[in-house]
Amino acid sequence: MIPGVFFDGRSSHAIRVDVWREGDSLKWRETDREYVVPLLLVEPSARVIGVPFVLRLPDGAHIQLDHDLLPADWFAGSHRLERVVDWLERRWPAALIGIFVVVATLGVLFQFGLPWAADRLAMNMPHAIEVSMGRQSLAVLEGRALLPTTLPLDRRQHLQAVFQHFADSLSGMPPVQLRFYASPMLGANAFALPDGSVVFTDALVRALPDDQAFIAVTAHELGHQAHHHMLRLVLRSSGVVIVGSMLMGDVASIGGLASGIPIFLLDSHYSRTFEEDADSFAFSALESQGIDPAAFVRAIQALERIRPDVGKGDQLRYLSSHPLTAERIARANAASHAFELTHASH
Amino acid sequence: MHDETMASGVFFPEVDVAPVRAAETSHRFDFRGNAKDYFRIWIVNVALSVVTLGIYSAWASVRTRRYMYANTVLADSPFEYLAKPLPILRGRLLTGLLFALYVIGGHFSKPLQAGAGLVLAAFMPWMIVKGLMFRARYTGWRGLRFYFVSDFGGAYQWFFVAYILMGIPFMLMIFLTASGHPLVGLLGIFAGVGGVYPWIKGNQQVWMVEHHHFGGKSFRFASKMDVYYRVYWKAIAVGLTWLVPTFILVGLVSKFMLAAQGHQPFNPKAPPIGFILAIYAVMAPMYLGVWTYAHVRMTNLLYNQAHLGQYSFRSSLKYWSMLNLYLGNALGIICSIGLAIPWARIRLARYRAEHLEIIGDGELNDFVRDAFAHGEVGAAGTEMDSLLGIDIGL
Repeated sequence: MIPGVFFDGRSSHAIRVDVWREGDSLKWRETDREYVVPLLLVEPSARVIGVPFVLRLPDGAHIQLDHDLLPADWFAGSHRLERVVDWLERRWPAALIGIFVVVATLGVLFQFGLPWAADRLAMNMPHAIEVSMGRQSLAVLEGRALLPTTLPLDRRQHLQAVFQHFADSLSGMPPVQLRFYASPMLGANAFALPDGSVVFTDALVRALPDDQAFIAVTAHELGHQAHHHMLRLVLRSSGVVIVGSMLMGDVASIGGLASGIPIFLLDSHYSRTFEEDADSFAFSALESQGIDPAAFVRAIQALERIRPDVGKGDQLRYLSSHPLTAERIARANAASHAFELTHASH
Repeated sequence: MHDETMASGVFFPEVDVAPVRAAETSHRFDFRGNAKDYFRIWIVNVALSVVTLGIYSAWASVRTRRYMYANTVLADSPFEYLAKPLPILRGRLLTGLLFALYVIGGHFSKPLQAGAGLVLAAFMPWMIVKGLMFRARYTGWRGLRFYFVSDFGGAYQWFFVAYILMGIPFMLMIFLTASGHPLVGLLGIFAGVGGVYPWIKGNQQVWMVEHHHFGGKSFRFASKMDVYYRVYWKAIAVGLTWLVPTFILVGLVSKFMLAAQGHQPFNPKAPPIGFILAIYAVMAPMYLGVWTYAHVRMTNLLYNQAHLGQYSFRSSLKYWSMLNLYLGNALGIICSIGLAIPWARIRLARYRAEHLEIIGDGELNDFVRDAFAHGEVGAAGTEMDSLLGIDIGL
């Protein structure tokens, strides 16, 4: 017989009872009265360490038993899943494995799972969405960060022609267009927007030594366009925000501040991958047009001269959204070397 | 926040209005959980939730909450968490879907996102009612459940219209500042924060307590608004006091960081990440200090002014003890990269239970089942308010 506490479900009286099982019946006794109910009609609660067992009776009453006193064979078929979970929860090795599983799963999820899902989604989104994203970004930047260009008209027309010729020569490109802006805020810079815009600031155009260096930067930005990096990055970081918030809400409830840091780190990580991808695209695009990837090195070095922060080598790898400059130059030089070898053999 | 501890819950507010008799009995809440057991339960359930991409998380929540509730004991009887996992999973999926649409939508059209935000704000009171109903409905003690009356009108009055009222002094300030009277405008802000906000918070508390029922009795609340004014005026004073050391710290940190920055020109539009982190780190204690003050005082008021039948409650949370507890928890969680979360929750639940008691002439045997309908309540409201971190002060 097991000691328990009976509650009738209609009042808060606690009644001490003794409970036992007889065949297919559950029986309990309160001082001199005995009660019986078929075992099948009793609904037991799932087992959790330190939580009393609750046996719910058909009429809304229930009996509470101390959590480890219920014999395992009384309700052998109930809560099969939670029985396993309870078994795990009682073991320290399981807890240690649990820590490892959490770390490993989150690693795989953010390194492979989430990028994969976001990229699948991006592939199936209509181009109109990218166009509206790009328009929105331009609308936000124009008049604030981006001011009307001050480059002479003939210079712009020349670069437009170079750009168009290079873009047309590459296969599989979405529609792209070149835009110039003056931007004291952004300095010497170039970036791609999801609607196909490739933006050069006046300062960058002035800093680039020759047309081939211009083409090298263009090739990098076209790499972003060809692989839809902007849309994919937006979807990936949205995914991180969503998954992160749900995790935080459920696991930790720490709130926004703490979750902001890992989200920032992951975003940088994803965008760095895309920058490397765009560089590789640029090298092969340059080679296909018979241009030595050394032009890329000249572009970066020109950028470094007017923006010393670009070449700063002491940044932490995971904090940086672009690959470190030294690495990029090394890769460009390797590509240039390969280019020279193939062309020398002709 | 989704508080998993019963003792922190709303459920036992009361007031010292009952006539004081010599032989009053007091039943202290007792928390019997321990961090070792809870850690294993927590980590195993988190691991299973992550591996199943969140599907299992509903079952995980139920198990961890059952542990916290059942270990909160009143008069030798544990509380019970009675929610079923499937409705929670449904609520969670719906919440996740809406949140995903909101986040992704913002990248394509800001007006759309702003519109969605407004719609969400309009639904907030509804979510609060649903959340309170859910918590009450699935909290039990001695086989009886709590009950929250679904008063949507009152919710909109105190959680929506009242805040619009609160916006008036802010609009006035913007207007006055624009028309060249910034000081008068600032005064308007103080009038708004010091004059309207305590009144809103007090009425929210009254509304919340008086719509709870347990055991055939409804909670009653005896309150004068002036106590809330005192709480928030003192909270402002606490905030101003905290400002002094915080300013000194911010000054020191900026100076130090600028020195470390060396020859690099400091760009105020894009400060280095380390600088931002350092500023956050010194600001956090101030935020915690003020928040804890308001939270402790409001929680004490909530319980100390409420009563249920002939029973009243006494909550005696102390500011410095709670601040100490929160700071320790925050440090522990940060230093252990989250592994100390179970320990932090247990510590908090224990402290809160130890400082809550129910007083009255009786053995708590005289509660009976409510006559109200006991239908099921959907979990979407409570899931959304836990995602959005709505602090309804329970």
